Amino acid sequence: MITLENVSFAYADQGPSVQDVSFRLEKGEFAAILGANGAGKTTTVRLMDGLLKPTSGRVLINDMDTVKSQVSERARKVGFLFQNPDRQICKNTVREEILFGLRTVRGDEGEEALQARTDEVLKDFHFTGDEEPFSLSRGQRQRVALASILAVEPEILILDEPTTGLDYLECCHIMDRIRKMNEEKQVTVIMVCHDMEVVLDYARRALVMAGGRLLADGPVKEIFRNTELMEKASILPPQMIGLGLRLGDGFENADTPEGMAEAVMARRGKGGAGA
Amino acid sequence: MICFKDLSFTYKGEKAPALSEINLTVEDGGFLGIIGPAGAGKTTLARAITGMIPHHYTGDFYGSVAVNGLDTVDTSIDEISRMVGMVFQDVESQIISPLVEDEILYGLENFGVPREEIPQRMAEALQKVGIADLQERSIASLSGGQRQKVAIASIIALKPQVLVLDEPTGELDPRSSRQIFSLLKELNEEQGITVILIEQKIMLLCEFAKQLAVVSGGKIIRQGNTRDVLAHADELQALGVNCPRVTTLSRMLSEKTGAAQPVCINLEEAEKMVRRLIG
Ligand SMILES: Nc1ncnc2c1ncn2[C@@H]1O[C@H](COP(=O)(O)OP(=O)(O)O)[C@@H](O)[C@H]1O
Ligand SMILES: Nc1ncnc2c1ncn2[C@@H]1O[C@H](COP(=O)(O)OP(=O)(O)O)[C@@H](O)[C@H]1O
Ligand SMILES: [Mg+2]
Ligand SMILES: [Mg+2]
Repeated sequence: MITLENVSFAYADQGPSVQDVSFRLEKGEFAAILGANGAGKTTTVRLMDGLLKPTSGRVLINDMDTVKSQVSERARKVGFLFQNPDRQICKNTVREEILFGLRTVRGDEGEEALQARTDEVLKDFHFTGDEEPFSLSRGQRQRVALASILAVEPEILILDEPTTGLDYLECCHIMDRIRKMNEEKQVTVIMVCHDMEVVLDYARRALVMAGGRLLADGPVKEIFRNTELMEKASILPPQMIGLGLRLGDGFENADTPEGMAEAVMARRGKGGAGA
Repeated sequence: MICFKDLSFTYKGEKAPALSEINLTVEDGGFLGIIGPAGAGKTTLARAITGMIPHHYTGDFYGSVAVNGLDTVDTSIDEISRMVGMVFQDVESQIISPLVEDEILYGLENFGVPREEIPQRMAEALQKVGIADLQERSIASLSGGQRQKVAIASIIALKPQVLVLDEPTGELDPRSSRQIFSLLKELNEEQGITVILIEQKIMLLCEFAKQLAVVSGGKIIRQGNTRDVLAHADELQALGVNCPRVTTLSRMLSEKTGAAQPVCINLEEAEKMVRRLIG
């Protein structure tokens, strides 16, 4: 669980980048933060992870105030996946990379346990462990970064544009893995993402930001169907939702091509058209 | 005109070819979208157009690439760069100046653009990309998305006949991405600039590109008019290439109604199709 209470933040010598933002994420939620470049999304997720401290207001991870907490306490609870895996990866093999994260955060468990956990994660991600991260593709490196974060078994996973620069299959691999953690282990997920189709497919809740403020917070589909809000935040809704809104007349409820095709056929079946 | 004839290329020290038997023609004034999974050879294809292959990147080179009838093997990179402007996938390796202004200036001076023309060309390029306010900023203070826009502006300022862009909108938000695509369309339609655009944003690509080439495993699997290529959505999906959801809807409605529906590439077309079907 993460709580933001009237959080504001300003970088040195600048006006506020985040202003009076409040929300609470319960355990097991899957939320997305939407908004234009510069809206304050990255600043917000860095505040959630304690990398930045609020200028005013409070951020609580479970019941722990990020201002008073130790880095090590937070690292045990929160995993942070950057947009660019190269900011994260620092070891020469995938095995070392995963072990490195584990030793830093769960060093008290003893080498044997950590080696066993590493084996488990390698197997799960289909790595041998001997791969050299910097000779892998960007998508593979992003999987290495994700593997080393999930190895620690965080309660909360924060993702800042995790699929940037990835192709479609790589994007699906990363997102399916995250969904699995969310569904099976009740890991709380919050992601910043510019691909609204991905947001629709994976997230259940959406937080919309503009100019450092939280404009709206609600179920993903409801948010996408709020035309005025979408315009204010410079967001084009996913195609099927956009199509449903154009068609109106009951079609607003479809949000996938399957759903839309069925709705069309049902209407034809009623004898609306000469089939 | 850009013309690939049976081009195969293997980077020095590699076993597998990065490109095999590429045959591709892009007419003057064309707008070609290139899509394909990571490692397919898209960037290598772009490098072959600009002459970086084989001049910078050595390896086994078979077949030929011609730009405006000039064989890239016999033409210097310098000469090719006067016809073809390229925006790199890795923006960091493209930008060489510490200031936005200098980055644009550098290319213009290099190309021998007359002094009195320079301020106008710079202002126009920055304004077109929507970053007039960044002119005096340092590159270091910019976000990844803003740097991508600077790279695009610096190439557009040179007014090349052919623009090659390698995943230029990766870090841009949806509105800025659409803005860049619209700008490319404008340059293509109003100034007849040939655009070759490598992109993962399939929805935008299908809406804007007139032709599409699908690359996988170093080969061009399909090429042709965007709509004709999208008619093979199943095949593309098997290769791990996504297609727009309106196109998926076309396919599903074709199956369900038992009558071929048009291949839709945008919301207007999808709306029309549905309205016609429900009468
Ligand atoms: N390290 C930084 N130093 C100073 N200003 C920053 C820094 N990072 C972001 N900003 C500013 O804060 C605002 C919000 O940025 P950010 O949180 O990165 O937005 P987003 O992730 O939504 O694109 C922007 O105006 C940006 O210029
Ligand atoms: N400079 C290089 N040296 C050796 N191999 C390379 C180089 N650049 C790319 N490759 C290889 O060529 C193949 C195609 O890569 P690339 O053209 O970058 O694909 P894409 O842009 O579609 O992701 C890949 O197998 C890649 O590893
Ligand atoms: Mg950001
Ligand atoms: Mg590439």
